[in-house]
Amino acid sequence: MPVCDDAAAERISENLDRMRSRGAGYADARLFLEDLSENLLLYDGNLELNDTSDEKGLGVRVLYGGAWGFSATSDLEAIEECFDKALSNARTASKLVRLPIEMGDRPPHDSRYDSPVERDPFGVGLLEKLELLSAVDEMLERDWIERRLVRASCQKRRVLFRSTEGTTVEKNLTNVFGTMVVMAQDCDGQMQRRSHSLYTTGRGTRGWELIADRALFADHAPRIVEELSELRGAPVLKRDRRSVILLPGQGALQVHETIGHPLELDRILGYEISYAGGSHVALDDIGSLRYGSDRLNASSYGAHPNSPGTFGFDDDGTPERDYLLIDRGILVDVLSSRAMVREANRRAGREVIRESGGAARASAFYRAPIERMTNINVLPGDDGSLEDITGSTDNGVIMDNPTSWSIGSNREHFHFGCEIAWEVKGGRRRRVMRNPTYQGHTLEFYGSLDAVGDAGTWRLEQVDNCGKGEPNQVMQIGHGVPVMRFADVITGEKE
Amino acid sequence: MLDERTAEALRAVRDEASRSGKRASFALHREDSHLMRIGNSSVSLSTSEKLTRLDVRVVEGRREGTHTHVGELSGPEQVRELLGVAVEKTAAAREKSFEPLLEEVEEPVDEQDQFDAGLAGLDPAHKTTVYGRVFETVGRDYVYSGAWSSGSIELFLISTSNDLEVYHRGTDQQFSVVLKHPGKEWELRSEGTGWRAADVTAEQASAELGGLTGLYESRPGRRIEPGSYTVIFGPSAIADLLQMAAFSGFHGRLYEEKRSWTASSTIGEVILGDNITITDDPEDDLTFRHRFDMGGRRRRCYPVVERGAISGFFYDLSTSAKFGRRPTGHDTRSPSLVMACGDGPGDPLVAVSSRKGPVLHVPALHYTNMPNVSEGTFTGSSRFNATLVEDGRTVCPLFSSRVTDDLPRLFRSVSVIAPEAVSVNLSNTYERRAPVAFSVPSYIVAEEVRITDCAESF
Ligand SMILES: [Zn+2]
Repeated sequence: MPVCDDAAAERISENLDRMRSRGAGYADARLFLEDLSENLLLYDGNLELNDTSDEKGLGVRVLYGGAWGFSATSDLEAIEECFDKALSNARTASKLVRLPIEMGDRPPHDSRYDSPVERDPFGVGLLEKLELLSAVDEMLERDWIERRLVRASCQKRRVLFRSTEGTTVEKNLTNVFGTMVVMAQDCDGQMQRRSHSLYTTGRGTRGWELIADRALFADHAPRIVEELSELRGAPVLKRDRRSVILLPGQGALQVHETIGHPLELDRILGYEISYAGGSHVALDDIGSLRYGSDRLNASSYGAHPNSPGTFGFDDDGTPERDYLLIDRGILVDVLSSRAMVREANRRAGREVIRESGGAARASAFYRAPIERMTNINVLPGDDGSLEDITGSTDNGVIMDNPTSWSIGSNREHFHFGCEIAWEVKGGRRRRVMRNPTYQGHTLEFYGSLDAVGDAGTWRLEQVDNCGKGEPNQVMQIGHGVPVMRFADVITGEKE
Repeated sequence: MLDERTAEALRAVRDEASRSGKRASFALHREDSHLMRIGNSSVSLSTSEKLTRLDVRVVEGRREGTHTHVGELSGPEQVRELLGVAVEKTAAAREKSFEPLLEEVEEPVDEQDQFDAGLAGLDPAHKTTVYGRVFETVGRDYVYSGAWSSGSIELFLISTSNDLEVYHRGTDQQFSVVLKHPGKEWELRSEGTGWRAADVTAEQASAELGGLTGLYESRPGRRIEPGSYTVIFGPSAIADLLQMAAFSGFHGRLYEEKRSWTASSTIGEVILGDNITITDDPEDDLTFRHRFDMGGRRRRCYPVVERGAISGFFYDLSTSAKFGRRPTGHDTRSPSLVMACGDGPGDPLVAVSSRKGPVLHVPALHYTNMPNVSEGTFTGSSRFNATLVEDGRTVCPLFSSRVTDDLPRLFRSVSVIAPEAVSVNLSNTYERRAPVAFSVPSYIVAEEVRITDCAESF
């Protein structure tokens, strides 16, 4: 099926030419021909969310006098007006510019990306979807469980990108997310929770078949029920310094908040200071900063076919890349877009970043692209299975799934709460502990990484709620992580 | 009122639905937004969005479904089509164990009293002028960041429950400028809010930033040892704490489901200090006034905590339906929380002048979250304008310090409350424009606040 509507595409090309002739250094447009989403939530067995939405519109970005102007409209009768507004916004912005933005030159290309899909989630009927969710819900039902939530959300987008460089990209993107949560009161009357989110192996397709794969979703229902049952009477994790073993459900958040966000180049360059914050990483650190122990290898990887962090081409039109961010503990690259790479190299006075990381992404037609995570992964290590890592741990805790996260403004320190912990003593996993928390300082924490699980412990966690930017944008990304162990971490809260 | 063509299209389809025995609501949201972002003392983005959204919700017995359309509405045919989508979804939905409530306009409202044509049509060039003036006044050697969002929204709601209509048109703006020292890394911030163009000025921002640069330039930052401290919280921190307290303690659903930190308490019970009074008051001009919610309820001043005692919980339509309660007008994205002022001195430094030992002045908290909602435990770190106070004098800037404490304990340990209220803008710009501002005392002093970590940097 052709992604684009020829008449609208033609008008976009004419307007891009018009922007050029009116002095724009660069301009691009993203026409969302279709942006569908669906949210289904069974809450205690009741279908509390049965929501769909459809969006259609145009977002235009114009670079004039070294400054960006952006405009968006849901009125496709007003395409010219939308371009004019973006240009006028850029003209105004150019009056207050210290370091003009440059996109550089890139050869034009005509490309297309389609998420691999076996079953289009929007082609699956509501009855079938609800059957799947109900089957999971039934597995979660117990008389002592007070809350059950089973959620599926689906997205589908058809986007046409065009730029003044003559590049055209057509994208068909599909994502499916799933979560199940159970809650019950513990012996102190506090509500405890245990959850599982649909993950992927990184391989295969990403349509409705992903959530229908029992091994990735439904089969985890009995496990979380069992673990919640143990949490109810479990002791509270007391304050101590000990080893922390993170399962991928928590490892993904750790990587997201303390590797992904601080390595976004716009944060490093200071473009997020007034809102999300800066970064403890400086431009000069690229290539030399010891971010963690030798065991730490992290990458931005665009080739997992079935991850929400895979999109083929970013919103600069740059192909998604595979590259290392941290190589044996040393910071070697960051997440970047075209304009930011040029600025970073100019400000550093040398080439600190070779090329765009293909990380310019916008969450909707009405948002401008900014640096976003792709698939930010930690590569598997040589320390074997979870059992092997547990076996070599004298005094530690295994933790899974976040309940709370709070991070310093430069991502230099953090405090995380988890759903569950298991005490490890003398190499053996012992009792379940509740209300576990841990905290640390980013570089010291990764410096203490002393075991990284093998490929058997690695899985790709899907994230559908990363918020960033002003106006705010919620983005979908992926984190492939193995089991990781960190030494001598502050865990638990003071009495 | 809403433009007649759109209103007529919605009414026509509503009437048809009514005649054919369907139960449906139509909620329209229109925004005309502009946001200018500043980074590295330059405009990094200037963006305009003109968007129309229509939510169509259908209730049929114990089934329901909602469809949202973002795009222009061409006329009744299109509205009919969108209704058709929602009807189809509803028919295929599962029955709930309770009957959902349909939106029902309680009484007609046509409010436009917080609409300023000057702000609606604000020329982005005005924003570059104001930022430029702040840079000039405070000093070109610093690195500036910031964001200035302004715009207007229209809300319109009708349903098949009756033929009453509600309409809101308002303007709002949220301004921030952050100054960072290029070498010493400290950050200072000034914020602005309001619904009139004149509510944000370069003079006010310059004065706030300029008032602190002297201290920050002359004294190095200090790291404090974790422990218990007396803390002066400023308006932004208070508004954050209030928002967390309201969401995790007074949301009807969390309370009914025993997930809130108020779970074991009942109405009338004293759970906070007797100097704490919290209301949701859409008549307060320091908030963005929304006198109806999108469930159709008329919003009036709603007491939440009176002199420390719980007086009410927030019930939205879905919680009300599930637990058999009356909706309280809280299907709104624009609550108007108000924390009552006290009788402390106007100057927070005077309020702590007799304290022995260091007092922390924390105007704002960064990235707060709740590791344990049942206990009301929150955590967040100091950021922007934080200082150390001794003997009633500001002595030096404070490094990034983490507060991890319990909300009920904190609101029982407030020893001084400022006599004057200020407006704090808490709007976010996720999805649709929805202005939020709370009215809070200009400072509070809380005792024995737990500081659990402190960095060696800002
Ligand atoms: Zn994030």
